[in-house]
Amino acid sequence: MSDRNKPKVLIVDDSELNRALLIDMLGDRYEVLEAQDGEHAIEILWKRGHELALMLLDIVMPGIDGFEVLEVMNRNSWMIKSIPVIVISAETGTRTLNRAFELGVVDYISRPFNFMIVQKRVENALMLYVKQRKLIALVEDEIYENEKRSSLLIMVLSHIVEFRNKESGLHVMNINTVTRVLLKHLLKKTERYGLTDSDVTVISMASSLHDIGKITIPGTILNKPGRLTPEEFEVIKTHSMAGARMLEEIPFGQDDILLKTAYQICRWHHERYDGRGYPDGLVGDDIPIAAQVVGLADVYDALTSDRVYKPAFDHDSAMRMILNNECGVFNPLLLECLRDAEDELQRKLMEDAYSSRMDVDAHMLASEKYAGIDAAVSARTLRLLEYERSKAQFYASISEDILFDYSVNPDLLTISQTGVEKFNLPESIYYPRKNERLLSCISVKDLDMVFEKLKALPREDMRVRCEVELRNGDRKEWYRIIARPILAADGSHEIRGAVGVASNIHREYTKMLDLEKQYRSYKPEKAAPAAESTIAEIDTHPF
Amino acid sequence: MTLEECYEKFGGDYSETLERLVMPELVEKYLRRFLKDPCYKLLVESFREDGSRDREAFQAVHTLKGLCLNLGLTPLTQSSSALTEALRDGRKPGAETQFEQVKKDYAAVSGAICELIGA
Repeated sequence: MSDRNKPKVLIVDDSELNRALLIDMLGDRYEVLEAQDGEHAIEILWKRGHELALMLLDIVMPGIDGFEVLEVMNRNSWMIKSIPVIVISAETGTRTLNRAFELGVVDYISRPFNFMIVQKRVENALMLYVKQRKLIALVEDEIYENEKRSSLLIMVLSHIVEFRNKESGLHVMNINTVTRVLLKHLLKKTERYGLTDSDVTVISMASSLHDIGKITIPGTILNKPGRLTPEEFEVIKTHSMAGARMLEEIPFGQDDILLKTAYQICRWHHERYDGRGYPDGLVGDDIPIAAQVVGLADVYDALTSDRVYKPAFDHDSAMRMILNNECGVFNPLLLECLRDAEDELQRKLMEDAYSSRMDVDAHMLASEKYAGIDAAVSARTLRLLEYERSKAQFYASISEDILFDYSVNPDLLTISQTGVEKFNLPESIYYPRKNERLLSCISVKDLDMVFEKLKALPREDMRVRCEVELRNGDRKEWYRIIARPILAADGSHEIRGAVGVASNIHREYTKMLDLEKQYRSYKPEKAAPAAESTIAEIDTHPF
Repeated sequence: MTLEECYEKFGGDYSETLERLVMPELVEKYLRRFLKDPCYKLLVESFREDGSRDREAFQAVHTLKGLCLNLGLTPLTQSSSALTEALRDGRKPGAETQFEQVKKDYAAVSGAICELIGA
């Protein structure tokens, strides 16, 4: 068996003979690390702790003893939670045993060592931990997948409804986002509505269904570009009850919290705090809080988006109108939340990150359900990933270059914060070739050109280098793009994405172009070298 | 000299030890290593009349006790156990006597092992 697959066991004992004897007893099924005292053991824990499957620990050692090692492992709880410790000590006094068990030790092998016992105990401890970890991961995955699928289904359904509105479907996503942000702030502000994190997720998911009643509204009224007549307005108002009735008539699941919440939202999201809403004229907190929040989110989104009957207002005007009760009277607490969340809202609505928003919902539900279980290892993995991610983000943020990565499926271009700020683009750009904002910075021709070059590379360690002109407002500047492809892992070498950097080379590049021009004007008789093009692949150029 | 004879010579329990370690090769291997282990030497060095290095002596004899346990060196196990307790929380009366006993038992064990390996 190759070393790489063997579980790693750390043996901590100041006697070399003891360590050697244990290693002999364990046999070659394990890869063994040794430490001759507590200090050494702690060092290994920090450096390679996440690799260890088990630790055999002596108590009496010179310098830092076994108890101190256990204390360290408890202070950094991920250690004691993910590395089972078996104490191997000649000390068999109850005091020692008790203290060891209190410190989270899993088992105790007394001396003299017995071949069979050592092997079996180690095996058992390992199996227990491995099975536990696998189970936790399996269950978390299952839940996550389920929640994700429901989220997606809800999204699809609501998009179907929105489709008739000739709106971009952003409406549903925006309501989802605004609802979630408002609820988070509300949660922090007051206990009055007894909301939990779980509620926040459920209400945000259910908010996607708030306008399903619109499917009963004739298209002529729905998409009328002008003012509605009073009769037409009455028709539109029926969409609240219509949606609620549709949900009511679902033959099963009437106990389901998601359905109940969706019912509340559908029926009452046009109620107003002062009782002048519709359809039932509910007042104040008679209106379920879910409906209140979605009602406010709906108004905010309607104001800040283009509609057939009006253009979009900017954020500040929308805020002003809402706070002046020009669009109905709202719960003052909610208005406070809206004010508190102003910046966050604007930022989040700028992102086009559709699936990441849905993922957040599903993932939160999944991990919430398992808050009780000791998921130390998954949490640790997440922590490690998070650490790597924040490192990468930091390096990207202090760089003047624009770092980007692209995936083919989903068709998504992600750019670093520098790019977001310099070019006023969102961080995540879906379908980049069709994204208007991106195309105002770089031409489709250049995008395709870079991608074709990337597709042509057979290996991931090869690079594309080219110069493109990027437009920033009314400035055009030259950038060098260096990128490498990400290929399928299955050996097909199909391109799955790319990773790269765009650096501003405007000054040097224009200088070089000038020099070229000068050079050419110096020798008019000679045939002109290759014509200037806006794109040049300059692999050998000193720049 | 066989392993069994060696153990008999210093009064150890060969069959029990073999039960635990399973392979005679392992027993012999570790008997050899026992001779080279520094804990006895450290014990002798640090066990002083004035008790100034008793902490060290305690750890040394504690280690020695563990080794003896593992290898079934019964008489030495007993005397080093006794000395360990006598030194555990400060030196207790009778420690010096125990110490002498440990030296005696160690000599018996090491003598027998040397004979075994033909040194």
